[in-house]
Amino acid sequence: MSEVIKKTLRYAASFFLIVTLNFAFPRLMPGDPVKNLIGEDVYVSETVMEELRAEMGLNMPLYNQFTAYIGDLLRFDLGYSYHLHSPVAEVLRERIGWTILFVGVSVLLGTVLGTLLGAYSGWKPETKANRLVCYGFIALSCTPPYFLALLFLEIFAFKLGLFPFKGFYDIPTPENIMYHMFLPVTVMTLFSASRNFLIMRGSVIQEKGQLYALYARAKGLYDTAILFRHVMKNASLPIITLLALDVGFLFSGALFTEIVFSLNGMGTLIYDAIIGKDYPVLQGSFLVIALAVLLANMLADLLYAVADPRVRRPA
Amino acid sequence: MKQGKHFTESGFNRGLKRWLTFAVLIFIFCANMYPAGAAEHEASGENLTPSKEGIFDRVITYIKVLLGEEEKLQDSRTRSEESASDMEQSTDTEGVALKIATPSVIKSASFLGDSSLGVFAHLSNPPLMKIDSEGHLAGQLAESYEVSENNTCWTFYLKDDLYWSDGEPVTPEDIEFSIRYYGKETPSARWINDTLESSAVSDANNSVTFRFNKPYTRIDLEFATYNILPAHVWKSIDNPMEYLNEGPYVGCGPYYLKQIDFNAGKLVFEINPYWKGKAPESETVEVHFYSNVDVATLALKNGDVDTYYKYAGSYPYSSIEQLEKTGDFDFLEKTDIGLIFLAPNLKRAPFSDPEFRETLAYTINYEEIARLETQGYGEVPNRGFVPPSMEAFKETEKLEYNPEKARELLEKAGYSDSNGNGVLEGKDGKDFKLEILIRPEYARTGELLKEYLEQVGLAADLRTVDSDTWFTLKDSYEYDLTVTRSTPWGMLMHASWGSGYFDSRRTGQGVMHNLDDPEFLQLCDNILATTDPAELQDYAYELQDYYAENLPAIPLYWSNVVTPYNRHFEGWYTDPLYGIYNLDTFVNVKKKSA
Repeated sequence: MSEVIKKTLRYAASFFLIVTLNFAFPRLMPGDPVKNLIGEDVYVSETVMEELRAEMGLNMPLYNQFTAYIGDLLRFDLGYSYHLHSPVAEVLRERIGWTILFVGVSVLLGTVLGTLLGAYSGWKPETKANRLVCYGFIALSCTPPYFLALLFLEIFAFKLGLFPFKGFYDIPTPENIMYHMFLPVTVMTLFSASRNFLIMRGSVIQEKGQLYALYARAKGLYDTAILFRHVMKNASLPIITLLALDVGFLFSGALFTEIVFSLNGMGTLIYDAIIGKDYPVLQGSFLVIALAVLLANMLADLLYAVADPRVRRPA
Repeated sequence: MKQGKHFTESGFNRGLKRWLTFAVLIFIFCANMYPAGAAEHEASGENLTPSKEGIFDRVITYIKVLLGEEEKLQDSRTRSEESASDMEQSTDTEGVALKIATPSVIKSASFLGDSSLGVFAHLSNPPLMKIDSEGHLAGQLAESYEVSENNTCWTFYLKDDLYWSDGEPVTPEDIEFSIRYYGKETPSARWINDTLESSAVSDANNSVTFRFNKPYTRIDLEFATYNILPAHVWKSIDNPMEYLNEGPYVGCGPYYLKQIDFNAGKLVFEINPYWKGKAPESETVEVHFYSNVDVATLALKNGDVDTYYKYAGSYPYSSIEQLEKTGDFDFLEKTDIGLIFLAPNLKRAPFSDPEFRETLAYTINYEEIARLETQGYGEVPNRGFVPPSMEAFKETEKLEYNPEKARELLEKAGYSDSNGNGVLEGKDGKDFKLEILIRPEYARTGELLKEYLEQVGLAADLRTVDSDTWFTLKDSYEYDLTVTRSTPWGMLMHASWGSGYFDSRRTGQGVMHNLDDPEFLQLCDNILATTDPAELQDYAYELQDYYAENLPAIPLYWSNVVTPYNRHFEGWYTDPLYGIYNLDTFVNVKKKSA
């Protein structure tokens, strides 16, 4: 029972810390949200500025702003965006939906592709094909995402005319959405795959030299059975960690890909909120990302236990 | 051994529990996903037989349900079909659609709250006044206007052939309502609320009169920026800033705003069936958002869009050659009324001294800076600051690069390099070092300026800061020199001709508010006190002479706004405030006959 209380307290403390940091970080940035809202060439009197500040709740002392923020959170109210003129929860709902769809698919495909190819490449690293694939993925992981996205757009959309330049769709049908998302998903899948490939490859190279792999071979198991039934299971532990970390990426979007393909995702939402000092949007976005990462880490712990019997064993 | 068995069993139980948890989670996921798909079918009236839809559709539906859109499902399917059919229709009539690429991405469907949407909506809800291609103010919805002698009472006579896209006529009440509505609801127009004493409409002569509590001479210019709204639609909307609608909006221009589609990244304007003016050729006008200008260039080259528009900006000079090579584009070129300038801190010595500013002006190699920054699409500016495309431009002396003269003037002023270290010492005998405050977008200009200053022995430090820090430092006058720009509206605001940037009585993010010379302030007041065109011109000339003599800011170059357009179209107009985005363009642009 005391263990449950301890854990509950620990999670509550973590949550409070996250919430506090979410509140503090946007306010530590230089700049004034009110001036930002007014714009560069517009003259408004100090009285109007103060009225706006009051409307936005920014005239209150920080302590009061913080308690108001906590109060709103307890009522599941994430606030109201200064620039988007909409409740933050609605904005997030819209953006997260699309972001999960295109970043989520990319992360999943990238994990599967990178893990399988990485495992095979690590198992037989000396073959020419595997070396070539390895160089390819190293090159990919070193390429700036912005550049790769532009390159893909130039080749596949402009030169070959196979795909569109921007947006989630022209006509809101599933086929059209898939057609529009093919290029951004491919670019992001390649990035995700390259990271997973390199980690899996290294992990398999390390694992295949272990005694249990040697023992499996001595038992007369085939290579594929040793790799996929024994080695891969142990080698995939870092991939699980990476996947958990990618959940944060999943919710924070992929800014550069969104910019190149003009997609309305979480990346541009957060970027615009930083530029515009839109505190409620920043607070809401960071909270969702932090909670998603927490949840993903909890799931990763669970998966670790499934993949590795040593984790299940009491110390 | 016994203990080992215990461990194994414990591990087995824990494993089993975890697998069970997983199974339950997967079950919940699937259980949620299936009804989600089913709900959509039910809502759309389809049979609930086993679905032929793929997992992808089911996942989309699931996400919609997860995101709390169950209640919208019924509508969304219908809307989606309608939208798809509209879009297909739009594709069918592609031959008569004018497509514009823009980097000014709309962030919100708030008609009054999003500034970029406000600019694009000039097409559907044109302002009362406009600036013509020569830079003169002219009526747009207004046929004519008059102002009382004391400049407090403005009467606008409306054109009588204006209709909203729902068939209702545009009335003086609409104008009165719109202006009062902006004054009440939008912070940037709060001045209207504060100064508008009364207003009256006259249906007999189709006019609206605004009476202000003090003389106001720039109302005709101010009213060239406020979109006119249909009173019969907007009066029922209590909080217009929070009113989000992705279209259609009732408009009275040649087009009305049919749809704002963030996920497709475009605005669609459709022809106003009740428009009685010159009939535009294009059935639709589409504004396509590109977050990246390079991608917009590819889309232009590919023929996906016909032209490019950015408020207060040119098509990137570095990409012009790419478009020229295709042979498919012509270019409109006009000197921008906005410009890049070097702003000395007039509140700090020695920059407060006009003679020192004169010396600084001689250190700058204007030709080089114009060539590098505008790639041939700019020119050396005059001392009078105001670019030639602005109304009442006065030809003043060109700024001159003369480092020898700068050295000479510095020496005369008591700056000398007595220790031979290449850096001039000030009157206190210490090395004179100045700081150039720079935002990242002016990094290269900053580097060039530093180099020019060092060539005459003035040591300079570049301090690059983000925009917010720049605003803070600029507002607290913590800089020696800084580089910034004026926008077209910025040049027109306040007493016009760029005065709004320098008048110390003003505030604002982009303005320097650092000039409190009584002569300058009096000039501003004089301009603000008259509506007489001849007097205004005289004051404008005086103001440019003042700039030329005192150099409160040193213009670095005048640049051209370059707008590429597909050669298949002709009939483009450009005005100094909104470039090609004006009604004259949209009613005149047409496909060239082969």
